[in-house]
Amino acid sequence: MSEKKNQYTNGRNAENRISDIMTCTLARLIEDQETVFHGVSSHMPMIAMMLAKAVHAPNMIHLNIPGGINPKPPKISTYSSAGEELLKGASAFLPLAEVFDLSMRGRLDVAFLSGIQFDLQGNINASVIGNYYKPKVRMPGGAGSAVLIPTVKKAIIWRTKHDKRTFVPKVDFVTTRGNVYKIVTPLCVFAYKNGMLVLDSIHPTSNLEEVKENTGFELYYDEIRYTPLPTKEELATLKKIDPMDQRSQEFTL
Amino acid sequence: MSKIVSLEEAIGMISDGDLVALGGNVLHRAPMAAVRELVRQKKKNLKLVKTAGAMDVDMLCLAGSVASVDAGFISYETQYGLAQHYRKGVQSGTIKGNEHACYTVICALRAAQMGVPFMPVKGLSTGDLLQVNDYFQVIQDPFGSGAITIVKALVPDVAILHVSEVDEKGNARINGPIFEDVLLSRAAKKVIITAETIVPVMKNTFNPQGVHIPDFLVSAIVPLRGGARPTSCEGYYDIDHADITAFRKVKEKIELDAYIASYDKKDHFINKGW
Repeated sequence: MSEKKNQYTNGRNAENRISDIMTCTLARLIEDQETVFHGVSSHMPMIAMMLAKAVHAPNMIHLNIPGGINPKPPKISTYSSAGEELLKGASAFLPLAEVFDLSMRGRLDVAFLSGIQFDLQGNINASVIGNYYKPKVRMPGGAGSAVLIPTVKKAIIWRTKHDKRTFVPKVDFVTTRGNVYKIVTPLCVFAYKNGMLVLDSIHPTSNLEEVKENTGFELYYDEIRYTPLPTKEELATLKKIDPMDQRSQEFTL
Repeated sequence: MSKIVSLEEAIGMISDGDLVALGGNVLHRAPMAAVRELVRQKKKNLKLVKTAGAMDVDMLCLAGSVASVDAGFISYETQYGLAQHYRKGVQSGTIKGNEHACYTVICALRAAQMGVPFMPVKGLSTGDLLQVNDYFQVIQDPFGSGAITIVKALVPDVAILHVSEVDEKGNARINGPIFEDVLLSRAAKKVIITAETIVPVMKNTFNPQGVHIPDFLVSAIVPLRGGARPTSCEGYYDIDHADITAFRKVKEKIELDAYIASYDKKDHFINKGW
C-alpha cells in the first residue's frame, strides 16, 4: 500500500478533504466546559472551536484576542482571526492580556498554537532558521506559544505541512518545548508521551509509509490506529458555520 | 493651549532613536497615517514595540527607520503572508528582532505602567528565548518559591494610538477591540492620538467609565478620519484589500515613497469643521 498520491487531497469535491479531517480532529480534542483560546492566523482552529460548540461541547468557553467570550460572529473574516467580529454577540469581555493571565494561574484548558519545525523531543521552533541574531530565515515568532505551552492544560498544535523540513531530527531554535498534548498534521496525529512524540493515529487518507517518508525522525507507536473520519453531522455543521471554506485557507494559498 | 495639532506637528514630537509603541493588532486599527508620516519625516533608529504587528512594522522596516522590534509576532495573517521587509531587515542584520512571547511584551509594559524595572513572568521557563535575549533573566524568588523568569520593563518614549473618538481635551474612546492600547497609554511617557471623530467634552461626562484614555495622559490630538487605513477601524471601515495588495508589491524604498505620496492629501487634510 504505497500508492503515491498527491500529498494532500483537498479539492472542493474530494470525498474526504484533509482540511475537514483536520478541523474535525481538532474539534474532537475539545471537551465540554473547557476554556479554549485561539490567536492570530488561526482560521482552522477557530472554526474547529465553533464546530465543537455546535456539535459536542455546547458549554465550551471560546476565548480570543479581541476578548469576546463565546462570540457569534455574523460572518467569518477572510483575512483575520483577531478582528472585531469576535466581539459580536459575545456574552462578556476578557481580552488577550487576561487570557494569558488565566493560563498562568492554571485555568486555561486548551490553546491552539502552531510552529514551523518540530522534533522527536517535542521541541517547537516558530522563531528562526539559522542564527538568532542574523538568521537565514526570520519567521513571524511564536506569539503566545512560549508562555502558553508550558502553562495551558492541553496545548494543541496544528500544522498544515507535513514533510521532512517540518518534522526534523533537531529544531534550529527552541521557541518552547514539552507539554504538547497533540500535534495534528495533514497526515496524522502525534501525541507527546514520556518526553517524546509518538504516532497517535494516521488519517485514513494517508498510510504509515507516507507518514514515515515525510517525517525526519523515527516513528514510535504501540499500534496503528486510524483517525475517525468526519461524520455527516460534522460536515453538515461545518458547511453551515463556514460556508466560504475559510478552514482550508492554508491549503489554497 | 490646545493639544489639537496637524499630523506633521504630532509626529515632529518623535525623535530619532525613540522607543515607539504602536497601537492596534495585526491589520486592525494600526495607526497607519502616523506610520506614513514617520516615513515622510525620515525618522531613524526607531525602536518599535507591539504585541503583534504587520503592515505598520513592515513599512517602517522598508523605510529604513527601524533599529529594533520587540514583539511576539510580526506577520500578516494567513491570507497576506509574511512581513517581507521586517524579515529582510533582520536577516541582513540591519534590524534587531527582539522576539518575545506576546505576554512578555504585555508584562514589560505592565512594569512600565507600574514604574518598576522588571516584571516576573510565569510560563517562559524553558527554551532558547531565555538564552539569547538579555531582557529575560531567571532569578530565585526571594520568598522561596524557586526560579522565576523576569522581563525588563519596556518604557515607550511615545505611544501612537488611533482611536474612534476623542474630545478636544484628549479624552479618548475606542469602539471595538481595544487590544493593548489602554496599557500602552499608561506605559508610555507621551501619547499621540489620531482619531476618527472629535466629540464634545460634554459627551464623555455622560459616561466617564467609557473613556479609555484620560486627557491628561495625552500629548497631542490629530483629528484624522481614515487614520488607520488601509487597516480596519471598527465602526468606520474594514481593511482596504486593494491598497494592502498594492503595498505587498512594493519592494524598494523609491516605490514606497510613491505609495506614501498617494496618501499625502488624505493624511494632511485639516477639517476646519471640527
